[in-house]
Amino acid sequence: MITKDKIDTYIEKIPPSSKVLQVTIKLLNDGELAKAAQIASQDLALSAYLKDLVNKPIYGFKTEVKDINQIFGILGVAKSQQTVYNYMITLLSPAKWKLFQLNKTSFSNLQAELSASWQKILKHLHTEDKELESAIALLPASIIVSEALFSEKIEDVNLLRSVHSIDLNTILQRLCNVDLFDICEQIANKWEMSPEIAQIVQAASGVKPSEDEKLNMLGKWMHLLLFYTLSQPAYIEAELNDFIEFQIEYVGDIYDDFAMLMEIS
Amino acid sequence: MRAVVKDGMGIFTPQGFLDGNNSASFLSIEDIEATTKLNADMILVSLKKVVFFNRNGLDAFVKMFMRVRSASHATVGFCDYNEKKFKAIGNFYKDDLNFSLFLTQEVASLFASSFKNQSKNVLLYSEDKSQRAAMAIELHDNGHNPIITQTYEEFQEKAKAENAYDVIIENTYLGQMGQQVATRVTGNAIIYTVSSFLDTEIGSTFNIAYHNNSLNVGFRLFIFDAYKVVSMNVHALNFFSKLASSSAEYNATICFVGMTFEKTPIEFKETLEDSGIMFFEQMDDILQNKELLNELGASSAASVKNKRAINKVMVTELPNFIDATVATIEMMTNSQAIKEAAKVDKIEISDKENKIASSIGFYGDMDGMVMLVFPVEIAKKACELLIGEETDDIEMILDTLAELVNIVGGKVKTLLSEQGINVDITLPRTYPNVDALLEIAQDKKGVQVDLSFSGDNFLFFLTR
Repeated sequence: MITKDKIDTYIEKIPPSSKVLQVTIKLLNDGELAKAAQIASQDLALSAYLKDLVNKPIYGFKTEVKDINQIFGILGVAKSQQTVYNYMITLLSPAKWKLFQLNKTSFSNLQAELSASWQKILKHLHTEDKELESAIALLPASIIVSEALFSEKIEDVNLLRSVHSIDLNTILQRLCNVDLFDICEQIANKWEMSPEIAQIVQAASGVKPSEDEKLNMLGKWMHLLLFYTLSQPAYIEAELNDFIEFQIEYVGDIYDDFAMLMEIS
Repeated sequence: MRAVVKDGMGIFTPQGFLDGNNSASFLSIEDIEATTKLNADMILVSLKKVVFFNRNGLDAFVKMFMRVRSASHATVGFCDYNEKKFKAIGNFYKDDLNFSLFLTQEVASLFASSFKNQSKNVLLYSEDKSQRAAMAIELHDNGHNPIITQTYEEFQEKAKAENAYDVIIENTYLGQMGQQVATRVTGNAIIYTVSSFLDTEIGSTFNIAYHNNSLNVGFRLFIFDAYKVVSMNVHALNFFSKLASSSAEYNATICFVGMTFEKTPIEFKETLEDSGIMFFEQMDDILQNKELLNELGASSAASVKNKRAINKVMVTELPNFIDATVATIEMMTNSQAIKEAAKVDKIEISDKENKIASSIGFYGDMDGMVMLVFPVEIAKKACELLIGEETDDIEMILDTLAELVNIVGGKVKTLLSEQGINVDITLPRTYPNVDALLEIAQDKKGVQVDLSFSGDNFLFFLTR
């Protein structure tokens, strides 16, 4: 159904990040917001993405924010970097989604919601690190990879899942010894993201806990956040709810804290 | 979201959070409609992967339960929860708890009418005395050995004993149980259990689709366990007469065991005998009498008088059947499946040792049966994707092989429908050895194709 060759071809086809994005990230790393905004403005698609994102209702601005310099100023260093990574991930998303009932807007909404909640979590955990903030950007890559690998095999996947309860990540793991989150890690490597980002996202799969206690804890929060977000009607209807298996025992020790933070009652 | 059906149990597995905002999104109108047509004995919602739920979140599923139960008489409820979740559901629905709660899917399977495993030693506890009694009766009826504990202390004490019980039941509640006629398979006979008053309701509680499927996959003896029947009225009489006539077309036999005619007119017995139904006092009168079993067709398909040859339509569509098998094996193994040789004749299996088989029937615009015979090790390899771990558990391997042949059936159905040929598929059947398969297939002519993947051989046989 899916072969290792197909995965290798897919990874090969992922373009390296552009010069503009590389420089923007570097300047953001150095805290040079104004210079970063100047460079980012050269990429019209990135500029449009930033404007679209920051003017979403979740940010709550009454008047439209148009200037990139202003946007980076509003977001701050860490969130600006995270947003640029979010943009890079959208470059991988398909023109037309087939496996999941998503589109450009709903995927971007998913990114925005995950990012906003992740920031809340990091604040709650008193964790301030722009690399850790950016880690959430890589998580939705697992959805894009699923779409890319399985969209041509929808009928096979549906037939298989009608007789056996099995998630896409497990199918891939059993067929190719590589899972969705390994592929995400390879994307992160290709784009020279921090190794910590990939480690957290690997732990967030729920099946590969990190040996680093701190990163593992963040992986737990991210795993639970993913399912909290995917439990929203729009994403259930997009058939995202069971694309990977929710590891309820993995998040058992943080659930109460999570529920309090997210005001779940 | 759709239920995954296995062994007559349809299971929904929502994940994450269940509340009033999202629960309706899990179940569209089409999903509910499809569930009512599943022909499952039980429809359950597993809460194993649900970290949070409230009453509004469960309500959408409870509404679905009511629709399903009124449409198909299946047992409905939730399963796979911990004590906290069990108590929460109890509090939410207090006096309105008219669905069932099963601690695990294994516990639920003990109460399913199409249960496969019998004679389990079951330790049982419920705070509610009437629940304890109800569960014990159901378990006993289903062929198990319930050990009831009266107090929680006694239950805890007994539960400590290692390997003393096959299953331990607590935090379980029986709501309104399914009213379907219970079905079980013994060797090559199918036993239906009927009880109390047989009237017009039998038309909706008897699973006619299951019966037809069983005829299609080769069952020829059907026994109604009627020890608990009080009486039968004319509507039920007509139903059984028609059932006997339609089954006779397949040379199948229908028997009643333990039926008394104290409150049923004795003329009914004569009418039923005229339509071909046989009556016995004890179940063992049939099951322990090998000669009679042979005569009634329960041990061999050799008694099937009208052997049907494969026909032109089937040969024309043969590539679709092969393609479906090849595509399924390729999907499951990521290796190329190759057709080695083909012939039209009776099935020929050179080496019968360590081989298992599975079959699935199809009926509609055309009818027949696909059989797959694998060496055990190769079957494990073909099912690796579904099994996911090393196992020598033959039950598990057979179960998984049934899933594989179910996928083949699904693909056949799709490929044929693309050409305007509509068929339905039967439940898959598995055979732990070649002899069991040959009882059904040895005298049938069909197309045999030797296939291989990664150098390993297996056999495909298409027949009617």
